Amino acid sequence: MNTKPIGIAALLFALPFYAQADAVSELEAQYRAKGAGPFSAAAGEALWNKGFIDAKSGKERKCTLCHTTDLTRPGKHVRTGKVIEPMAPSVNPKRFTTVKKIKKWFVRNCKWTLGRECTAQEKGDVLAFLKNL
Amino acid sequence: MPIRTEETGARGEVRLRVWNLPLRLFHWGLAASFVTAWLTLDDRYRDIHVFAGYVMAGLLLFRLLWGVIGGPYARFRDFAFGWREARDYLKLVLQRCPPRFLGHNPAGSWAIYLLLGLGLLIAITGLLTLGGEERHGPLAGWLSFAQGEMAHNLHELLAWSMLGLVAVHIAGVVVESLLHRENLVAAMLTGRKPSKPGMVSARAGRPTGILMSVAIAAFGLSWFHGYLVETPERPYRPFSGIELPDQALWREECGACHLAFHPSLLPARSWRTMMAGQSSHFGEDLFLERDSADEIERFLLENAAEQALTEAAWKINRSIAATETPLRITETPYWVDKHKEIPGRVWEDPRVNGKVNCASCHLDADAGTFEDAAMRIPVDTGGALKGLWEAMTSRFRLDSSHAGIFNPKG
Ligand code: HEC
Ligand code: HEC
Ligand code: HEC
Repeated sequence: MNTKPIGIAALLFALPFYAQADAVSELEAQYRAKGAGPFSAAAGEALWNKGFIDAKSGKERKCTLCHTTDLTRPGKHVRTGKVIEPMAPSVNPKRFTTVKKIKKWFVRNCKWTLGRECTAQEKGDVLAFLKNL
Repeated sequence: MPIRTEETGARGEVRLRVWNLPLRLFHWGLAASFVTAWLTLDDRYRDIHVFAGYVMAGLLLFRLLWGVIGGPYARFRDFAFGWREARDYLKLVLQRCPPRFLGHNPAGSWAIYLLLGLGLLIAITGLLTLGGEERHGPLAGWLSFAQGEMAHNLHELLAWSMLGLVAVHIAGVVVESLLHRENLVAAMLTGRKPSKPGMVSARAGRPTGILMSVAIAAFGLSWFHGYLVETPERPYRPFSGIELPDQALWREECGACHLAFHPSLLPARSWRTMMAGQSSHFGEDLFLERDSADEIERFLLENAAEQALTEAAWKINRSIAATETPLRITETPYWVDKHKEIPGRVWEDPRVNGKVNCASCHLDADAGTFEDAAMRIPVDTGGALKGLWEAMTSRFRLDSSHAGIFNPKG
């Protein structure tokens, strides 16, 4: 029996998960190089649910406004109404697979939500929380 | 041939068939399609409007043929009155003693010729508008957007003229019915009029009438069958526009937070300004790398509104003063004008979620074509009659006191 095709298929199927592990561990290494760590999923979850008051509008902003609290379900962009695919990698294997994309969204979302960029520690914590969902 | 269709009436008169079935179907079909066309002025019902137009055109062409082969009373030569005869007849009407005609009277004949002529001109200008402005129908792409718009203006002028003529025609029917104490409306329904014996009667024309009915029904079914087979996931779009230029990078980057607004919706200077200020994009830092930003900007500029890829592009671009550089599609005068009838509560409804969420109403927002009849407001806005009133009066209203629509979102 030729097991090669099965092996390749299994590899292809697993690829996204490797990619995720790759991208996240690459970022974790970068954060550590900046002196951050160890990373805690609990601290990440706390940040995820924390509210920040926007200086200009006086309104509360948080990650869950767009991503919602149930991360296995689709979210909705609070400003435009556009549907956002689920954040949990268990239901959306495309999550956290490219370093560039994660970096870009950390900049965007932290600036909008916290009014500043997140620290390496904060980003590592959030990824520790999100990657195992 | 013996006249078999006479029926003896109350006062020893015979009830003669004057209007045969095809003629009656033509009359009421024309009336129905005319009313339908007026009721569906709103862009949302464009497919119904165009359907009504085709039915009307078909009926008018049929009437031309029937005017030759349709037999007594329907033939043009049976009511080929000159202008003098019509004028003399009208004078007698003023003196309240017009002679009675079994078929069309001289004044009525003139109304009919004018209605036929106007109807045909309306159909032709309608086809030119459809082909020029919307790029659909048999004349798609024959005209520029500007020529299509000229045809559109003419089309509206003719439609108003026809509405006026219809009013005169109805008034004439009422006056003559009163003066001769006979119900002309009923006669057009039953086809029969009281008459002295010996007058020639029209043939029933049943086979032709049935053929007409079947043809209209079949055309209706083929035109609208998409609504019968649509599903909530795949709603039916009566018109599908051309495929617009696309770019994967643009779609991914500019479609992440909101609909990827097609480049054709804003002029080049707007995109240039927007991309130069990408670090403060409506309160967001887009943080795009230089090469991605450049590639996206190139795509935006190449397909900007100036290229007139769609009717919307052409009209949006034209509506913006040369001194203005709007960063919002929703602030361009054309967009504001097209959406001013939508009440404020619709925008606030969670099913719509604001002006920027084009796809909640426009089925083809993702494709960027923004075709007519592809918009469905998910909130009830008060029905077709109100829509008709708004559509008919909007060009006479100068103020746009619709507070709420212009509220910027927080
Ligand atoms: C204003 C809406 C909004 C808010 C608030 C928001 N996000 Fe996001 N976020 C998005 C959108 C949109 C995406 C892109 C989703 C996609 O690619 O499907 C995204 C993507 C991400 C990604 C990248 C996912 C991947 O697949 O690589 C991360 C990480 C992320 N967000 C984290 C956060 C964190 C942490 C917060 C709170 C500090 C937050 N977001 C708040 C809208 C938001
Ligand atoms: C990080 C999220 C995000 C990304 C990515 C993004 N936008 Fe936006 N954009 C917004 C927000 C938020 C608004 C304002 C929405 C509102 O006011 O309702 C907006 C508004 C707009 C508007 C104005 C809509 C209107 O007519 O009111 C345009 C045009 C626009 N964006 C184009 C782009 C283009 C082009 C790109 C890609 C280069 C892009 N956007 C990428 C968040 C984003
Ligand atoms: C609440 C529903 C709704 C939303 C949201 C909406 N539209 Fe519309 N739009 C309509 C309706 C209804 C019409 C038809 C108006 C008329 O009959 O004159 C229309 C007409 C248009 C037209 C003219 C189409 C034509 O050929 O005449 C364009 C272009 C358009 N919308 C673009 C947009 C864009 C771009 C957005 C998002 C920025 C948007 N619309 C958001 C309901 C909506």
